[in-house]
Formats: sequence, C-alpha cells, structure tokens
Amino acid sequence: MQHFIRRYGTLIGFVAILVFFSVMLPGTFPTARNWLNITQQTSMLMVVAAGMTVVMVMGDFDLSVGSAASLAGIVAAMMMSAGQPVWAAVSVALIAGLLGGAFNGAMVSLVGILPFIATLATMTMFSGLAFVVSGGKTISGRAIPEEFGNFARSGIPLGEWGGVAVSLPNLSIIAIAVIVAVWVLLEQTTFGRRLYAIGGNMEAAHLSGIAVKRLRLIAFSLTGLAAAGAGLMYASRVASANPVQGSGLMLNAIAAVFLGTTMSRHGEPRILATVVGVIVLGVLDNGLTQMSVDSYIRQVLVGALILIAVGAGSIGQKRP
Amino acid sequence: MSLNKSALALAGVLLATTALGTGAAFAQAKVAIVTPYMAQPGTQFYVEAFQGVADENDWDVNVIDTAGDVAAVISRIEDLVVQNVDAIVINVDPTQVTAGLQAAKDTGIPVFGMDAGADPLLVTNVTSNGYAMAAETATYVADRIKGEGNVVMFVFDAFPPVQVRGVIADAVFGNYPDIKVLDRVTPDVSDGGIADSRAKMEAILAANPEPGSIKAVWAAWDQPALGALQAIEDAGRSGEGIVITGIDANPQAREAIAAGGNFEASVAQDFSGIGAATADAVARVLAGEEILQSVTYVPTKLITAANANE
Amino acid sequence: MAPPTPLLAATSVTKAYAGVPALSGVNLVVAPGEIHALMGENGAGKSTLIKILAGVVAPDTADIAIDGVPVKIDSTKAAYRLGLRFIHQEFNVVPTLSVAENIFMGRRYPRRAGFFVDWAALNREAQRALDRLGIDHIDPRQNLGMLGLGDQMLVRISAALLDDAKLYVMDEPTAALSADESQRLFRVLREIRASGSSVLYVSHRLDEVMALCDKATVLRDGRSIDSGVLSTITHDDLVALMIGRKVEEAYPKAAAAPRDTTVFSANGLVTPGIKPISFSLREGEVLGVAGLSGSGQGELIRAIFGDAKLTGGSMRLGTAPYAPSSPAAAWQSGVAYVPRERRAQGLVMRRPIYENITLAHLRRQSRAGTWLTPAREKRFAADLGATVRLKAVGPAQDVIELSGGNQQKIVFAKAVAGNPRLLLLEEPTRGVDVGAKFDIYSIIRERTAKGAAVILVSSDLPELIGISDRIAVMRGGEITTIVEAAGLREDDLVNLCYGRPTGMVA
Repeated sequence: MQHFIRRYGTLIGFVAILVFFSVMLPGTFPTARNWLNITQQTSMLMVVAAGMTVVMVMGDFDLSVGSAASLAGIVAAMMMSAGQPVWAAVSVALIAGLLGGAFNGAMVSLVGILPFIATLATMTMFSGLAFVVSGGKTISGRAIPEEFGNFARSGIPLGEWGGVAVSLPNLSIIAIAVIVAVWVLLEQTTFGRRLYAIGGNMEAAHLSGIAVKRLRLIAFSLTGLAAAGAGLMYASRVASANPVQGSGLMLNAIAAVFLGTTMSRHGEPRILATVVGVIVLGVLDNGLTQMSVDSYIRQVLVGALILIAVGAGSIGQKRP
Repeated sequence: MSLNKSALALAGVLLATTALGTGAAFAQAKVAIVTPYMAQPGTQFYVEAFQGVADENDWDVNVIDTAGDVAAVISRIEDLVVQNVDAIVINVDPTQVTAGLQAAKDTGIPVFGMDAGADPLLVTNVTSNGYAMAAETATYVADRIKGEGNVVMFVFDAFPPVQVRGVIADAVFGNYPDIKVLDRVTPDVSDGGIADSRAKMEAILAANPEPGSIKAVWAAWDQPALGALQAIEDAGRSGEGIVITGIDANPQAREAIAAGGNFEASVAQDFSGIGAATADAVARVLAGEEILQSVTYVPTKLITAANANE
Repeated sequence: MAPPTPLLAATSVTKAYAGVPALSGVNLVVAPGEIHALMGENGAGKSTLIKILAGVVAPDTADIAIDGVPVKIDSTKAAYRLGLRFIHQEFNVVPTLSVAENIFMGRRYPRRAGFFVDWAALNREAQRALDRLGIDHIDPRQNLGMLGLGDQMLVRISAALLDDAKLYVMDEPTAALSADESQRLFRVLREIRASGSSVLYVSHRLDEVMALCDKATVLRDGRSIDSGVLSTITHDDLVALMIGRKVEEAYPKAAAAPRDTTVFSANGLVTPGIKPISFSLREGEVLGVAGLSGSGQGELIRAIFGDAKLTGGSMRLGTAPYAPSSPAAAWQSGVAYVPRERRAQGLVMRRPIYENITLAHLRRQSRAGTWLTPAREKRFAADLGATVRLKAVGPAQDVIELSGGNQQKIVFAKAVAGNPRLLLLEEPTRGVDVGAKFDIYSIIRERTAKGAAVILVSSDLPELIGISDRIAVMRGGEITTIVEAAGLREDDLVNLCYGRPTGMVA
C-alpha cells in the first residue's frame, strides 16, 4: 500500500485534478481546443524542463536556464532588428545558449564549482549580458519581423471542432519534438545510461571508465541549448524580447522535474515524468483561471501540491 | 492512507477557493483583468478604482496577476476566451500579447487597455499622457537651472510607458545647448529601485565632487528620485541646490516635496481615474456603444511644494 | 533444574520484503550473563533480525519476550527503553564535535544551573566511559574527526557502555580495531557478562567468536539452523553450518602454475604517492600486495588504472607500451578494477544488476556504441551472473536489494566481463561471508587459468598467502621486497610489513 502510494500517488493526484476540472468545467476544460491551448501554454516550460531533466539526471542543477532563455531571446531580437534574417538570428541565439551551457559545464566539471553556485553566478551573468546587449530595452513592435511572431501563432490545421477551426500549434510541435529527442537520448542511448550512472554514483561511474567530466560538460551544454530554444519560443509568442522575460521558467522547471521524480522508482528524474509534472503545473494554471480562482491562491496550491507529492513519496522511507 | 487524506484536503481547498472565487450568478457580466505588474503600486490603484465601478455595475471581476510573465498573459487570455468572458482588460504592452488579443478578437470578446499602449486589437487604451508628464518635469528642470548645467537622468527603457518619458526628457534637454546630460542611468529595480538608484547616485556624486558640477536630477519615476535625494543628503551636498524631479507623485515623493528639500517636483497620474475610466469604457461597450478613440487620456497634475499635501 | 528465564527470547520471527522471505520462523534465545554469537553468511538474515530487535524494521510475525515478559518493539525508543543497545558497523558520529559530545549524543548533557552545559562534567564523564575500555590515548575534548577509524569505533562503543543495559548488540565491532583494541573490548565484554548482562555478538571472524562467545545461533537462508554451546563444536563444523557444506579448502588451488609470458610490467613508476616502483607479472600469476595501511598500495593501483598522473616511469601491457590517461583508457586496454569500497566506488546501488555489469562495457554492449540493447545486456548479465555464482531474482533486480557478498560478485562480474588481461583487486573480500569468499577466490582462479594476471591488494594476510603466487611488500610508497607466497608464514609477512627482519618475534 505504502509502496503503491509512493510510486503512483502523483499520477493518481494528476488524474484526480483532471477529473475535478472536467466536472467543474464540463463545457470548456475537457475540450480539444482547451487542451491544444494547454500544450501551447506549457510548450516553453516543457522545453526548459526537458533540458533541466538532463542535468538533474546527474544530480546537478542549472539555475541559469531562465536567464539563458532571456539572453537568447534578446540576442535573436537584436539581430533581427538589425536586419539579419530570422534563420541567422535563431541560429546565433541557439549557439549562444549552447555556449552558455558549455560555460556552466566547464565551471562545474572542469573547475569543480558546485552546480548550485556556478549556475547561480552565471544566472546573474547571463541576465546582466541580456541587459547589456539590449540596453535594458524591450525589443518589440516593428523591430521584430512579422514572420517570427507569426510562427508562434500558427500551426498545423486539424480541422473544425464545434464550428471553430483548431490547429496543432507550432510551439506544441517543437515541445513534442524536444521531448521525443530527450527521451531517446536519456532512455535509449548509452549517453543517457551513463548520465544516470553518474547521478547514481559519480565515483563508481568514473572508475567504470565513464568520462564524467566530458559528459557533464555536454549535458550542461544541452540544457543551455534547450533554454535558448525556450527563450526563442517565448520571444516568438510575445513577438518581443526583454531582458527578464524568461526568469519565471527556472523555478517552474525545477518544480516540474521534482514533481516528476515522485513518480519514478528511486526518485530519479525521468523525462516522461517531467512531462506529467509540467502538465500538472499547466493544467492548474489553466483550470484555476477558468474557475476564476485568485492567482495568488494558485501559487499556494502549486507549492502545497509539490509538498504533498514529495511528502507522499517519502512515506515509510525511514532514515537511519 | 495519507494520500487519501491529502487528496481530500487538496480537493477541499480547491472547492473552498472555487466557492469564494466564483459565486457566479448567471446575469452578471464576467470581466477579467490580466496584468503581469500587480506588484506595482499604480496597478493596484487602477484595479481598485476599476472594481469600484464594477461593483456598481454588479460585474463578476476576475483579477489575474502573472507575476511579471508576459507569455502567461497570453495563456490566461486564451483561458478566458475558452471560458467566454464578456470583456478582458489588460495592463501590458499589447504588441507582446498579440496572440491572445487575436484569439479574443476571433471570438468577439472586447479587450481594453488600462495604461497598456495603443493597438488595433484593443477597443481603446486608457492612460495618462506619458509624453506630457515627462515634458512637464523636464521643462521644470530646464527652467529651474536656467537652461545650463549638468543633469543626471534616471530612466528605464525596458518598460514602454516609462521609456517614452525618457525620450521626451532627452528631447527637452537636447534642445538646450548648455544642458549636458552627465549620465543616463538605468537602475536595478528588483528591490523597488530606491536602493540601487541611491548607490548609483553616490557613485556619480563621488565622481563629480565640485559644488555646482551637478545641477539637477531628472528621474522617470519617483523611486530613483528618492534614492538620489538620499544620496545627495548623505553626501552633505543638499546645500548646492541640486534640483530633483520625479514622476508619479507617490506618497513618499509627496512627503519629500512637501518638506521643501532638493526634491522639488513630480507629476501625479490619476491612477484611480484611469481605472475608473477603463471601467466606464467597458460599461459603454457592454451597453452596445462603439468607442472610436483608440487612446483615452486621463489628465495629470504637476506636484510641487505648493500642492504636495493636497 | 529448570533453565533460567531467558533474557531475550525471540521466536517465530518472520519478515518478507516484497514477497521475498528474509526471515522464516527464526528463533533466538539469549540467556542472562552470556555472550551469544549470531552467525551466518551475508544475506542469511542477520541484519534483518538485528533491525527488528532495534525497532527499525517491523516484523511480519514475531513473539519477543524480555525476561519472560512479552514485549513489542515498534520503535528505536522502545528498544532503548527495554534495555537494548546497538553498536552498528556503520556508526553514526559527528566528526566535527568533540569525543565527549559524541559520547553524550542523544543523552542529556550534564547541566549547571539547569541550563548551561557543564563542560567540565561532560568531559569528566566521557573520560570515565573511555577508562572503562582502558583507553587512555584519547582526549575527550578532541574532535572526533581527528581520530582514526578504530579509535572512532572505540568511542562509539564506550558511549553504548555508558549506562547499564540488559543486552548489547554488536555488529562487527572489531572490523576497524587493532588486535590490542579488540582485546580490550573483549575484556569489557567479559566484564559485562560477569555483571549479568548479555551480549549478542555478530562477527565474520570465526576465531574471535570461538574464543569469546559462549553460545551461537547460526542463520542460513533466513532460518535458524542451529543453536548450541560453542565449546562443543569445532571451527570447521561452524563454517559448515553457515555455508551448508563441508569446507575442504579455504582457498581453491590454482589449476596450473603461471606461464612464462609477461603480461604486465612497470618500470620505475612514480606518482606523488609512490617512489620508483618496478615489477612484472606473468600470465596466470597473482601478485599480492601487502603493507601497513597507507603504504602506497592504493596509489600504485590508481597509477596502473590511469587514475593518477605519472610523474615518471613507464608501463607495458602485453608487448605494447601502456600509458592510460583515464580509467576509461585502462578498461579499453583490458585492465579491470575491483575497488576497495564496493558501495562508494564499485556500484550504482539504485540501478539494476545488468546496468552495473555493462557500465564499463557499454561500447560493446550496445548497437554502434550508441543505442542501448537492454534485452541483450540482460542475457549477457545473466550469463556472467552464473559464472560468478550470483544469487539474485534476475538481472533487472536493483543492486541495493542484494547482500554484501552478492553485491561484490556484481563488481567482479563487471570486472571480468571484458576478459581482462590484468585484474586489479583491492580488498576483494572485505565484509564478505565465508561462502562468498570462496566463490570470489574461484573467480580469481578462473581468470588466471585463462591467462589473466592479477594484482591483489589485501589486508587479510591468510588470503594474501593463500591466493598469491608472489607477494610484494610496500612500505612508505615503495616495494621493499617481493617474496614467494608458498610456505610464507603470517608472522614473517607481518614483520616484512613493519620492516623488521623475518624470524624475529614481534
């Protein structure tokens, strides 16, 4: 019984939340349109959380993802406002994210600074860089090419639903692609297996011939890349970039991964569990807004939910 | 065991909040305000005044704060569209939430700007005239220093309504050949803006020790003006006659202006007026009227020692 | 005469983890004033039984009586109240606090004016507790972390002896103690016995048990096999009871003598921890490495395994130069390593058996070095598990659920999975029971029969003499001598380790 709760408590809670909203909001919550909205609304968090999962598998953290997302958005927006083509702006922003992540990885694995401290420092650095590059300005309006903003507003048409045209948003498609890529990477490749081994016992992994330093460097780079991707998605969705707009992503991403860890056997992060964690957060936002619940109460609920989930996960796990 | 208990507790909290939150009657018009900037004092005034008018009209008002997250404003507008509310009020740059505005327009839900910015997807934007406010204080400074000397500017270009103030002040000072803008400072506002502005000002004072080397401090809003005032007083340079102006005339600024020190002037926005005027616009549209003005201006007022205590 | 009421009578103790029985109807009866040995291989159920007595694990069924009164031990507090004290292998200490503070941890510190800690009294009381064990070289005001492991264990034991209890349960208390320290502990245990309290004593050291204990209960596969008076039983009988078969030989014989082909040679190796070291190894040879702890054995192994930068010297593996830049390079060259600490260095405890075994061989145990093939890995792991005589539910079982001996077999399975040419072993049988030890020795013999060379670092002298062909003695970071193992006496080896001429009485 205890074991059952530990393993499936969060999943049961998730289903309970879905049932609750479906009962309370029968006309609007369980509709295809609303769910497509949710996938789009959570797409940026999904991408950041997927990247965060990669480092958290090794037992590391990346606190700089929010700032990296902001920086990537700013870099792309500055290039676009300078007349560069969208593809070039997007590529440079993604490379910036990759390099930022590699810098994190170098600090953590080569220099040996604790991830919490190293990424706390780079969080501030990236944020400062975003202000420097943008001059503190919000880049919006005509500075952003229409095609860039339109990307987040379009998708693949799925047909009519109750007289309204519905489509699978582009942002959702990207999020799904990232999830699949991370799933393959973590669950199907030797790279993922090695990351899990590092997370389980770094010394044993090293002595088993795993190149711990190199893998940590790569993992942090991937997290930076994902953060930059999410920053671009964000910038496209709001058709603008300001130097702080990604800052809310970091804590939510960590919260989503933690929610997910309550669903795995030994509390290790799993990408599909992270997806559930992100959807829980997104559904709470979506459903509670529709029920006109105060946004501050929502924050209290989300915090309580994490405590309940993690608490239920530790039931019966006595420590000596 | 304890899962059941905790699930029950969660469900209980959810139900309780729902009961508090909705209490919805069918005849009531459902109006939602979405803002990422609820923590700022001005926003609270808008919302309170708006709710005052809403109560008179017996609307069901849902205030949503996304805590600085602009993309979340789009998400919440999408949710409100699914919920089919009667009107939506936003307090954020509309060009950044076009996706949400488009979704509302597609379903025929009117969206109003409350000190947001003009946009074709908005019915109207109700605001103070930021250009006019900045012109008031910038010309006040220029006049007081008789068109010559060094001026320190505190600006914040990341926030469009504040950014326009800086533009006007730049233009006014640029128009006087003998006024030199010594520094154009963007303070860190994460702690409210006073502390960092004070630190920045202290550095500038240290770099310019000669009396008279700084004639005035023009701030795009009150917090940096207050920070600069503290720095000048602490440096023992309040006797040099450095003129400080702010914008918004918040209570602390009014107190400082009334005290008769270096902080001489600010401009009062009528936040409550903006909130009430937005609600009036919503009421007119719900009554079937059409609004042609894309921007609705609410008057502002220069605050000096003469009227600071009003 | 009726037998006296037992101090502790635990009967029909049953406990299953996830349906797998750990204890099935175990009986344990300890009389007042006796030192009672609890024997059994790792995984026989000793630790589960102790945890039940300590109130850490709840039994499925159990009738426990203390002094004839039925009791229920549902928490560590209840166990404490009932007069039971536990001294574990993995002791809880705070290295940054003083010895005295550690001794009084969990107890009320002596106070002055009811509030201020009376440090003088605290240190005095702590000194008295240490005195009881005859310890005069530890200052109670010292930080515990400054002490060696053996001294830390002594502090822990003196803390448990601080107040009088009915039954002291000691799990491998001498594992980290020197012979002198052990003798002092035994003296105190005998005092305890004389005072009418009892000791439940768990140890792998049979000689110790035979000398110290009055009675023994032997567990095997979760059942109590036998309970009896030790004076009526021989050493070999006891081992036979524990492992369920006759012990013919503690160390399996090598199938053949080492061949004349050189597998590995070191020429003047220098790292910050070792002075120039040279030796060579032949096919099928086991080179034992003896020495006092910290004489450079670990550094030598790390140098050969590519985990320390060489500042001088060179190595050859087979006919080619060998200069590994990392453990990864060492594995690839066919050098495998069984580290000293299996939990901290050898295993990813919360991952399945097969993942642990293939961890060092993923390049080959995958498609194109990239794509995982779990089904193939599991078959591979199951085959290897059979060759190392692993007892587990299946290759997907998590390592953490296995006993220490079986965990060590997984470390060996990982090491031999790639058919290594050179096998580096550090303390391969530490904390491993008699049966698993024999299995591990057999694995070593199988590898040497296939032509591998082995370097065996061990502090277990009989093991070194029994398994090695030659023994290198290290002192101060260098090899002082290399001797033939055949016919070597333990005393001689001890003298060599201390740098004294052999034949001289210690």
